[in-house]
Amino acid sequence: MNPIELLIQYWPNYLEGLWVTVQLAGVGAILAAFLAPMLAIVRLNGHPVFSIPVRIYVSFIRGTPMLAQLFLIYYGSGQFRPFLQEWGLWSFFREPYNCAMLTFVISSTAYQIEILRGGLMGVPAGEVEAAKAVGMSPVSLYRRVIFPHAYRIAWPALGNEVILLIKASALASVVTIFDLLGETRLIFSKTFDLSAYLWAALLYLALTAVLVWGWRRAEILLSPQFFKSGRT
Amino acid sequence: MFDLFAYGDAGWGDELLAGLGITLQLALLALPLGLLLGFAFSTLSLANSGSLRLVARLYTTTMRGLPEILTLFVIYNGVGVLLNLVMKSIGADPVEFSPMLAGVIALGMVFGAFAAEVLRGAFQSLDPGQTEAAQAIGMTPMQIFTRVKVPQVWRFALPGLGNLWINLLKDTALVSVIALDDLMRMTKVAAGFTKLPFNFYLAACLIYWILCLISEAGLAKMERHANRGVRRAGS
Amino acid sequence: MKEQEAVVIAEGIRKSFGAVEVLKGIDLTAHAHDVISILGSSGSGKSTFLRCLNALEVPSAGRIHVHGEEVLFKDGRPADRKAVERLRQRLGMVFQQFNLWTHRSVIENVMEGPIHVLGKGKKEAREQAEHILNRVGLSERMDMYPSALSGGQQQRVAIARALAMEPDAILFDEPTSALDPELVGEVLKVMNELASEGRTMIIVTHEMAFARDVSTDVIFLHQGEIAERGAPEKMFSNPDTEVFANFISDFN
Repeated sequence: MNPIELLIQYWPNYLEGLWVTVQLAGVGAILAAFLAPMLAIVRLNGHPVFSIPVRIYVSFIRGTPMLAQLFLIYYGSGQFRPFLQEWGLWSFFREPYNCAMLTFVISSTAYQIEILRGGLMGVPAGEVEAAKAVGMSPVSLYRRVIFPHAYRIAWPALGNEVILLIKASALASVVTIFDLLGETRLIFSKTFDLSAYLWAALLYLALTAVLVWGWRRAEILLSPQFFKSGRT
Repeated sequence: MFDLFAYGDAGWGDELLAGLGITLQLALLALPLGLLLGFAFSTLSLANSGSLRLVARLYTTTMRGLPEILTLFVIYNGVGVLLNLVMKSIGADPVEFSPMLAGVIALGMVFGAFAAEVLRGAFQSLDPGQTEAAQAIGMTPMQIFTRVKVPQVWRFALPGLGNLWINLLKDTALVSVIALDDLMRMTKVAAGFTKLPFNFYLAACLIYWILCLISEAGLAKMERHANRGVRRAGS
Repeated sequence: MKEQEAVVIAEGIRKSFGAVEVLKGIDLTAHAHDVISILGSSGSGKSTFLRCLNALEVPSAGRIHVHGEEVLFKDGRPADRKAVERLRQRLGMVFQQFNLWTHRSVIENVMEGPIHVLGKGKKEAREQAEHILNRVGLSERMDMYPSALSGGQQQRVAIARALAMEPDAILFDEPTSALDPELVGEVLKVMNELASEGRTMIIVTHEMAFARDVSTDVIFLHQGEIAERGAPEKMFSNPDTEVFANFISDFN
């Protein structure tokens, strides 16, 4: 079978897999984006009782393979089945999709905390003092001054993190999820045709290319005045 | 609980240790291959010829954009298929392509692509005066490369390469998927046998974590050594 | 000219960057013990010419002869690359920005060439390096890294590095231009000593007093050509050309 024939026969499978990949990485990154800012503040300014656990969490996630984290959650949860059933959580952990999503959220949150920490440290102290001087409350200080600036600094690194998450989401195929790589492995096992992987590779590259392009667009659209004034 | 990880027949300590050995072997074999590829492709990416630069760019963009596990499958299955085509054509029996070799090649290729980017940046940040001084005393291009450029590039590139080494250590876990008996796979075996997956996967995570922490400490030491003679801003 | 006494001969040196011809055929001969100062305003091509002498800037055309080693340049390429390396071993070079190797200590900078280019033993190279560093007044700083030294000290190390190669002639490319004014003197003092020892030196400089008082010959470059050349006493007191008269008018 030549590569084109393979694509004609299997394109719906590829599209389905692609959609699952987009969901896993997209939802995972967005959920992590809700969790990371608060934890980044704790990591940076919190009382040691809170900041040290966050540090350990970030170090642990960054120091272990995501595959091991996924197995720890997916297979490891089985060890606590009676307990989880009692609490009504077993139906969640039973599903590989949920476990994969949970892994991606936990992992991406850790990486985003680290990126935001860098962004927060890059906010000029003078801006913060100026905001305090006009009597801003701590909440609006973070909302209106610190985070907008920190996210501008962190934006490119956050884009890289999303790309890493897209790539990492391929691990889901190992726990029987039919994401893009899962579908591809299925197609390969039916055809033993290497071009099955060729199309998957092209789709992954296209997905990251679209993301890189969109990320840059967003960077410009979100802060036009910032860009016209030039970044240093 | 600790019996589980005991050494010998009673526990799984020796099996995990053997797996760890495979993991380290894999990483330590992929590292030189990756560095070699990294130097090669960074050199290409700085070549005068536009087509050479394009080759380097295609390689680094592709390898960095693909999931590592996909690269591993392509190498494992792809080279396996090609190998058997060759064996068939010469009338030999089909052979199994070693997962170890596939792992070393795939991880080395991924490392090489990222390292090429790190090294390219480092080569570009070299002060041309350093090279000129070496030319001026009549060093050969090869001497200039090994005695002036590499030691200086090393200093610029070390933090980036250190991160890549830690990623490499973690990526070795992927080879468990193609049935190589590394730490991850031995953990899986132990977890399945004892029906205590949480304990064993947690243990595996801790081992990887310790490896990374040791690496970080070692890298920090290497950076201090490489930066001798460099005045820091503000010091 | 008696060729056998000449240490450096450059003939018809041309250099173009794209369509712009920076050097329009320059000849220079340095005999043993000559101290030649090359003067000129910025853009005159004086640094380019000096860098052509050891082919750091590859001449578009011309011939360079250093102590039995001859290299022809044609179409912007040397006829023999190995000969270029040998030629460079015979010529020391001191840069405006010092260009000490930042990853090596002071003494390692001086030992590098003798060991790895001339193939000397480590012990011999170290003794020689200690001796030379002592002479330029840096015996206390041998194990420091260049970044810990002042500009003037770095430039003296760079001179020591050039001397360690036992060159037939030393090229100086504006050796004091990157230095703070109060550090210029210590470098000029070392150069003065080298001149009075009878070293052959070719110097691109803005230090007029040095050019007038120390050099044996002065070459004045203007728009890529030699506008005037001669003995310093004569040129500085009684310039032949208007351009050179203008050039030194600020100084006199």
